[in-house]
Amino acid sequence: MLAITLANLKMMARNRQGLFWALLFPLLLVVVFGLFDFRGVSPTRLAVADYSGGPKAELLREHLSTVAFLELEDLDAEAIGSLEEARQRLTDGDLGYLLLIPVGLDDPAAENRSRTVAPVTLIYSTRNPERNQLVEGAVHSLVIELRSAGLPVLPGNLVTSEVIESPEVDYFDTVLLGLLGLGIMTNSIISIAVRISTYRNQQVLKRLLVTPLPVWKFFAGEIVAHLLLALVQALIILAVGVFVFGGDIHGNPVFIQLVWVGIIVLLGAVVFLNIGFILSAWARNPAAASGMGNAIALPMMFLAGTFFSTASLPWLLPYASLALPLTPMLDALREVAINSSPLWETWPQLIALAAWAAATAAVAVRVFRFS
Amino acid sequence: MPLALQVEELVKRYGDVVAVDHLSFSVKRGEIFGLLGPNGAGKTTTLEIVEGLQQPDSGRVTVLGLDSATRSREIKDRTGVQLQASSYYEYLTLREILSLLGSFYARRLPPVELLELVGLADKARRRIRQLSGGEQQRFALAASLVNDPELVILDEPTTGLDPVSRRDLWALVRQVRDRGATVIVTTHYMEEAEEHCDRLAIINHGRLLASGAPRDLINRIEASYAVRLVTAGPLTGEQLEALGRRVEAAPIVNENTCLLRLHNDPTGLQNLLDEVGRTGVVLEQLEITPVTLEDVFIELTRT
Repeated sequence: MLAITLANLKMMARNRQGLFWALLFPLLLVVVFGLFDFRGVSPTRLAVADYSGGPKAELLREHLSTVAFLELEDLDAEAIGSLEEARQRLTDGDLGYLLLIPVGLDDPAAENRSRTVAPVTLIYSTRNPERNQLVEGAVHSLVIELRSAGLPVLPGNLVTSEVIESPEVDYFDTVLLGLLGLGIMTNSIISIAVRISTYRNQQVLKRLLVTPLPVWKFFAGEIVAHLLLALVQALIILAVGVFVFGGDIHGNPVFIQLVWVGIIVLLGAVVFLNIGFILSAWARNPAAASGMGNAIALPMMFLAGTFFSTASLPWLLPYASLALPLTPMLDALREVAINSSPLWETWPQLIALAAWAAATAAVAVRVFRFS
Repeated sequence: MPLALQVEELVKRYGDVVAVDHLSFSVKRGEIFGLLGPNGAGKTTTLEIVEGLQQPDSGRVTVLGLDSATRSREIKDRTGVQLQASSYYEYLTLREILSLLGSFYARRLPPVELLELVGLADKARRRIRQLSGGEQQRFALAASLVNDPELVILDEPTTGLDPVSRRDLWALVRQVRDRGATVIVTTHYMEEAEEHCDRLAIINHGRLLASGAPRDLINRIEASYAVRLVTAGPLTGEQLEALGRRVEAAPIVNENTCLLRLHNDPTGLQNLLDEVGRTGVVLEQLEITPVTLEDVFIELTRT
């Protein structure tokens, strides 16, 4: 078995064109996504809780709404729990900013009485520092402008900021893991489907059958070689994402999380290799196998949330997403590499993947044919 | 002498088609045995059952004294097979393919020795695609010998080769036999089978038509030479009947060609030519040839 595994690895390395494209395709996407600067001024929501309700507050909101990357949202300031809810959304990253406008903004008399200025409060998370600076600056200058008609006050007292600490996760990190899953999926499915189909066409499978090589060793040789390739591929994708484009694997120590990532990659790869074996049984020639592989991989890439959250998909498609093997793989990868969870906390996803592996293996064994 | 292969009452059906129909024959150890028959005669199916690639519907196959139904693994370990198509990994060198195939067997020969045997030692680092047709067939033969097999099965090893390569390959096959192995070979080339096989079997529609040494099969035909007439137009029924009365076996007619077989008696030829003149047959060509295995083959498989 060692001999056939080594031979398989040798053949993969020599099929330079095949290997190159298998590795390059997901890498290209990493580069494309890496070149977009998601940490720049990406649009976000700003919720306003207006305790003043006066013309100045109105003016402030109007000015803020002209900032291109801010989408304004009004909070019912009096409703119980609405502030807590907004803070939670901030922490989760669903809301960019929360602005509290005090009663005093439109009531100079109240300010005179207390001789203090109730500041406008801007609340945000640490998630996007560059954008935070821009928003803070904008709010600051707008408030000063509005106040300048009133009493001379120190600008520093006009706006206070409240910062919510949140782990630095950005869209690129999420996409990087999506691309990792995507790369493993497409390569595993298509590579196996095309290889086995080629072997069958060239009668290599038949030639092996007339030797005393047990059939399981043939499969084991293919699977082990492809799993090693998947690990190499994962390393390359993550290395380019992290070192070239500044993505992050979150965890302390990172090494442990990488081991978990490797285990998830292997489990996912087994599922996709099985799918490749199944396709190879149906495909009459290598070109058909490649087409079938793409037909399965491309829709799965979008439906499983590789690039975008599947929650925004129309109709029943978010549920369809749950029925795809790539979904638990990506969920588990993100849980481990973004939320720094240990592997065992992804048990629902691991069970789903294991079930997929068992089911696809059962089908593959039934439908596989040698000639 | 013990048998290398014994096929008894073998039957294989594909749906309504009977590919092998109660076929029986046996191969002695140490001989080159030819399995002949037209396309679709059931040769490949029979061999695939012997090789363990297919299961028979009924009948018994004993390879090297082992029952193929139960000892398939052991049989595979002691047999070498060359399939029809080029069936090797395209990204491995010749030497690597041989050592990979060898790793599947309990007994193996060193790749270098095998490549030397078939004259490809200087191409050890080449890949299959870089070889000529003749070299590919020689390599396939080498690959069927990786386990130093007692029985070698070669499916059409010379098909598509030029005459020199064919001669080289047969020399190799004899060499393999001389090393002590039994060789079973299929071919479409009757003159090759006649020259190189120790014994052979002719099958058609999955049934055995004849078996024995080539000379014995030829002697069964009651004629020692044949006259081939190429005529200007198709012969009439009358002409054919007249000619048929003068020969030993029914004439074989193919468009403007008529094959007539005669005893080794000069008067027979004289009578035949007289008949040709009498019935007004216009001759374009006349050829006198000895009876060959091809005549036996055509005679047997005509129906």
